[in-house]
Amino acid sequence: MSYLEDTSQKLDTVRPGEQWFLYWKTSASLWESRITQFPAHQIIFIPINWGFHAEMASTWDFGKYHPEKDLGRLAQLLTHHGRKFCWILPLTPAPFLPNGGVPVSAAKTLSISRDGIHLAALDHENKLNKMFSYFEPKVFQTFVHFATALKDFFQEVKIKAPIWGANFCYTEGKESISYFEDYSFAFEQGFSRYLKQNSPQGVDLTQTSEEEKLKEIFSESGFELFKSTAAETFASQWMGVQTISVLGSSPRDTIERALTGGKPQAKFFEDLFQLYVNERWVSSCLLTMDEKKDLLPKVLQEHFGSEAIAHRYKYQSYGGELDEAFRPFSLMDIIDSDNSYFTQVGLIPYLDKHYRWMYNLQCNIDFTTEWIESHHQRVKFFSGKHLDRTRFGQMLKLFMMGQKVVLDKNGLSVELERRLQVFFHENNLKLQTINYVSMINICELGEGRLVTYEGDKLLNHENTYKFWNHLFKYFSLNQPELTLDQDVFILWRIRATSPYELNYLDVRRINLYNPTSYKKTVTIKTQQHFAFMKLIDPEHAQAKSNPHGVDVELLPNGKIALDFGHYEETK
Amino acid sequence: MSLSLIYHFQSSQNQDGVFRPASYKVVYFFSSEGFLDQNMLQELSKSIPEADHKTVSFLNLDDLKHFALRVCQELDLPEVRLISVQDYNIGIDGAKDLESYQTILTKFGELVLNESATKKRNFFGKLFT
Repeated sequence: MSYLEDTSQKLDTVRPGEQWFLYWKTSASLWESRITQFPAHQIIFIPINWGFHAEMASTWDFGKYHPEKDLGRLAQLLTHHGRKFCWILPLTPAPFLPNGGVPVSAAKTLSISRDGIHLAALDHENKLNKMFSYFEPKVFQTFVHFATALKDFFQEVKIKAPIWGANFCYTEGKESISYFEDYSFAFEQGFSRYLKQNSPQGVDLTQTSEEEKLKEIFSESGFELFKSTAAETFASQWMGVQTISVLGSSPRDTIERALTGGKPQAKFFEDLFQLYVNERWVSSCLLTMDEKKDLLPKVLQEHFGSEAIAHRYKYQSYGGELDEAFRPFSLMDIIDSDNSYFTQVGLIPYLDKHYRWMYNLQCNIDFTTEWIESHHQRVKFFSGKHLDRTRFGQMLKLFMMGQKVVLDKNGLSVELERRLQVFFHENNLKLQTINYVSMINICELGEGRLVTYEGDKLLNHENTYKFWNHLFKYFSLNQPELTLDQDVFILWRIRATSPYELNYLDVRRINLYNPTSYKKTVTIKTQQHFAFMKLIDPEHAQAKSNPHGVDVELLPNGKIALDFGHYEETK
Repeated sequence: MSLSLIYHFQSSQNQDGVFRPASYKVVYFFSSEGFLDQNMLQELSKSIPEADHKTVSFLNLDDLKHFALRVCQELDLPEVRLISVQDYNIGIDGAKDLESYQTILTKFGELVLNESATKKRNFFGKLFT
């Protein structure tokens, strides 16, 4: 059996998914044949294993001594075959690399999680990769040295391919945690030096919360240091930072994947869909053959495949208008640096019940024309607690552009509250006031809607659910109503109509997945706004239409997609 | 099937003016089939009066052992392994692959026996030998 045939039957360690190419996993003589296995239109991502290039302390090999480290030849082969490619430079420990990528000479202190355990992840070959602290001063020195040597090498061999920095993360519960986060001795020592330097007069750390805040600031500044060093070093090649969540890499995952039962597919789905909501990018490179089977590769292909990757890495962009290709469809953007607040006021639990996986949590926004236009139809939620003047100004601009904006005024600074009142006054805007659970003010300007409310009144209030229900009725978001069994996962996409579908405003596709070993049912009510058009690629699934919508039955590992035409309400 | 838990000693804290004493927090509690349900653990921790039920934390090691045994009895399993974070980390230091990692979960820490389950087993054992 040839090598190529062999790889199609087994887990591909060189191409572990998401268009990654792990050059150190195979002989350099096989690079060419492996590269040509990628479809020609796909962009190839090459993570840089910086520890692999360490020859001796302060000597780096990019092909001078070992052909498998020859990044110049690798780039030449890719260019020769006309492939688009870019490098991924880890700015944090990387769970798919031995020592997290840190060269042996600098790997001194193991990283520790917030629960006190050493960070380690099982890779797809069941090897245990241990993460080493990036707060060890030697790691930063070595990183700077490596980045400079790599830049010099790229200049020498004239490699101009783009470089993305990677912030690798793991998912624990619903939280995404960077591998940069560390509570080791190296971190504590660094923190102590930071305090001495920044507060020579001393700091009162008797309150745990105060200490935690300072540690967070220190940790963020540490990451910034790696990021800015890389950005300055690679200058014109530098594209920015991608946050990449590595499936199966959390401390909890490592335990679960080592147990007899392993980590069930439905739990990988939970992580994946939570990452989708958080707009985080994923890597499935750690998963074994056993884990990457049944529905998981299909959902990765359908929603995290080459088109999504091209958008994520800005090789393509969505215009403001829909086109003939399906694109991800969400109805809400929750823009806040701390999403736990919107859970406390009941918004996220409400959305999980009625608009599951149809909202996005965004810590930050790219306030670009592309973002504004492609997110135009989404209702945007802002929390006054974390608004600064810039974000506040952006929020008002969105409203003036005809977008729907909801502001939770709890925690809004006096200055911004004053600016809001001035804004209403200067633009001669009239407010409608409703007092239900909280004082709600509604302001309309053309298509634009600006709703404000006092979120503190919603905390622990018995009518929180009704409050959100009324608010969403006001926005009249047309969307089929779903009744889902537990552990059924769905994602919506949308496209423009074709010349043969002019009765409709747009076409919406729902993909349904049942990753469990039980039969599941789903009821979709079209609510006089949608017409069932067709079903696509049913696998272990069937759908029956009725006057009110569609009933779907999903057998274990079943999947199906359904298209609905969206039409205007007939009054 | 057996049970294992990983616990972490947390020193006392002063959180927003509220003093929290030092405690032993259950970080992970699992059987060979997977993690135990957190709601069940919180409910069973109520059998230990001074425990923090929300975080499943205990004031001393004896309370932690009683809790572990209580879970063992509830699930009618013969034993539970208590692995401290320090023990776990020592294991990680030496582990290289899945097999050596699994040794941490099955060999490290202190084993607490559930006598009632053991007796039942002995009884059946007599029947089948």
